[in-house]
Amino acid sequence: MQEKYIICEDSLEGIFTAVYDAYALREGHEHLHVQVGEEENYRLFAEYLYSRPDLGKNDKVVRTLKSRLGEEVYGTICRAAASYDKTKGDAVYHTIVDGITGQCNNGVSDAGEKSTVKRSARSGGNGRHTMENLRNPYVLKTFELARRTANEVHHELEFIRFQELEQGILYAKIGPENHVVPFLMPHFADRLATENFMIHDEKRAVFGVHPAKGDWYLISGVEGFDEKSLVWSDKELAYQDLFTLFHKTIAIAERRNERLQRQMLPLRFQEYMVEFSQK
Amino acid sequence: MEVRISPQMSVMDKLRILSDAAKYDVSCSSSGSNRRNDGTGIGNTVAAGLCHSFAADGRCISLLKILFTNECIYDCKYCINRKSNDVPRASFTPDEVCELTMEFYRRNYIEGLFLSSGILYSPNYTMELICETVHKLRTIHRFQGYIHVKAIPGADPLLIQRAGYLADRMSVNLEMATADGLREMAPNKHRRNILKPMRQIQNGITENKNELTLYRHAPHFCEAGQSTQMVVGALPESDYQIMSVAENLYDKFSLKRVYYSAFVNVNEDKDLPALTSGPPLLREHRLYQADWLLRFYDFKVEELLTVERPNFNMAIDPKADWAVRHLEIFPVEINRADYKLLLRIPGIGVKSAKRIIAARRFGPLTFEDLKKMGIVLKRALYFITCNGRMMYPTKIDEEYIVRSLTYQNQMGKGERLPFLADGTVYRQTSLFDDGMILGEQGYRSIS
Repeated sequence: MQEKYIICEDSLEGIFTAVYDAYALREGHEHLHVQVGEEENYRLFAEYLYSRPDLGKNDKVVRTLKSRLGEEVYGTICRAAASYDKTKGDAVYHTIVDGITGQCNNGVSDAGEKSTVKRSARSGGNGRHTMENLRNPYVLKTFELARRTANEVHHELEFIRFQELEQGILYAKIGPENHVVPFLMPHFADRLATENFMIHDEKRAVFGVHPAKGDWYLISGVEGFDEKSLVWSDKELAYQDLFTLFHKTIAIAERRNERLQRQMLPLRFQEYMVEFSQK
Repeated sequence: MEVRISPQMSVMDKLRILSDAAKYDVSCSSSGSNRRNDGTGIGNTVAAGLCHSFAADGRCISLLKILFTNECIYDCKYCINRKSNDVPRASFTPDEVCELTMEFYRRNYIEGLFLSSGILYSPNYTMELICETVHKLRTIHRFQGYIHVKAIPGADPLLIQRAGYLADRMSVNLEMATADGLREMAPNKHRRNILKPMRQIQNGITENKNELTLYRHAPHFCEAGQSTQMVVGALPESDYQIMSVAENLYDKFSLKRVYYSAFVNVNEDKDLPALTSGPPLLREHRLYQADWLLRFYDFKVEELLTVERPNFNMAIDPKADWAVRHLEIFPVEINRADYKLLLRIPGIGVKSAKRIIAARRFGPLTFEDLKKMGIVLKRALYFITCNGRMMYPTKIDEEYIVRSLTYQNQMGKGERLPFLADGTVYRQTSLFDDGMILGEQGYRSIS
């Protein structure tokens, strides 16, 4: 049978809409592929379909995923969909298919482990073990992509540096590999509840904005933003100096080990951090 | 009594002196506490902890680690701030500490405050200053991030209790593994005085847990538990002694963490060893590896070390060392072994053991699967079978396996040590030069 490629927008909604469209074709899943962004090399004997992001379809897919696969698997799929990797569409799509059709659960038949299966069946769905089937290549890929995004999110939570602008607004610039801003915002919205702050992903031109004591939101596709127009507050430079000093004096000279430092804190993060920019 | 604070000194100078003086304290973790913001100020805590930067020595910077003052009435031989040393002295004011913490925290430089102190006038006086600072931070500035404070041995139990209700974690440093060692190194400190607040904090945490089950909104007491630290390599105590003390602290004092600090000779004291090859970092590394085995891998110190073999093998890690001496249980079949047995296999950690258990329910696992799941096959291959087969034909022979594992190390492909390959801090070559790998040389401690 002919292979079909569904081309979709590189976003969570785009991928979920494509998944919906793939199901709507009712042709069986083994010859269907979801491709994010643009078609790379046109393949001979392959058909290309195009999918536009649709909020209604997206919501239906989200609801199905949450009820059939559970919140945890849903979270993993969202992280995989935020990956930089262009093959994520297909990995996510087939993980969803295998999870929902139960391919990821049929194998669970070891006599000793039956009780687990029964328990999961009782709790309303059996797709909750989907991500455990790491022998399945699609699940493994989704798992790897999700882990990579999760690791970067964790790093950015640690290494992001806010700078105080006039009127006390906090501004941070990052250049992450994956689309991490939506995962960073809830953490900082809770932590800095009483602050006005924004996180700027300069690679994707995406801003996460949080007004003090309000709800956060995302802005994308901003044009003409000029970082040089930002004015630091009076005390900002003094605190940057204080922290740079602290960063220097806290190291023990006898244990100096810059290789370990680079391993723990890769250079691509150091680029955005005040304590490394003033060397 | 009036505080000897030099008002003419700038915050910059104070921070330079007081962070420099605090750097030998190891604990910097911000984990164990999970608290959401209540909307009245800034801050929350994350159970896993966050490391906000890494210093030039590769250690993490999670907390603003400072001393309140480096003035001290004690004269401990290993300490840079002992009273007989002529070093610049400084003291913060509570307000300065609060302001630094708040401004650093807003910018996401730090996860919270680590406040320790030299003993100014008396333990009570010092503890009171610490309490006042933390109290201001929590109430006036409404800071809800992580706070780690030292309990000063000899301070009034009421003050320690007060600090415990304000802080996430408290710690009392054991300093030396043995009571005799402490007497020798720190003539003003007594083992009894250190264990007393430790016990008090332990009891406080237990009582608080009971209280919280009854009253959900009761204030938390040291939510993230307590920790301690021991200096390694200043005295000739063995790894066996150190690990036994650590095991006791975990079992009897319910400590969250014990830290080991490779001795750095800052004072050139005649009673202290001269370390020609730098601090004993490899030994410290082995102690931490063993510490993890105690806490997460269900090992007992008795299994790792004995009176006859009191020190860790410097050539291979403690888990591999244990495995090669217990070849009767290997090879282990990956598709059948239970969780506890999986954890005993070198190259398999807590996460990969859990993944194996979950994934093999869907069908038998192969070596290829294991590799993708993150099992370190170059170490594990001597100890496992998949579906009854080993990865390569290998001898189940102690000497052969050790030689293979250490050969990998020499090629730079084996165990990843955090400092060896750099070559600047510690050289292992002397262990191999004479061709002795399993002999006494291999087992001797490097201190």
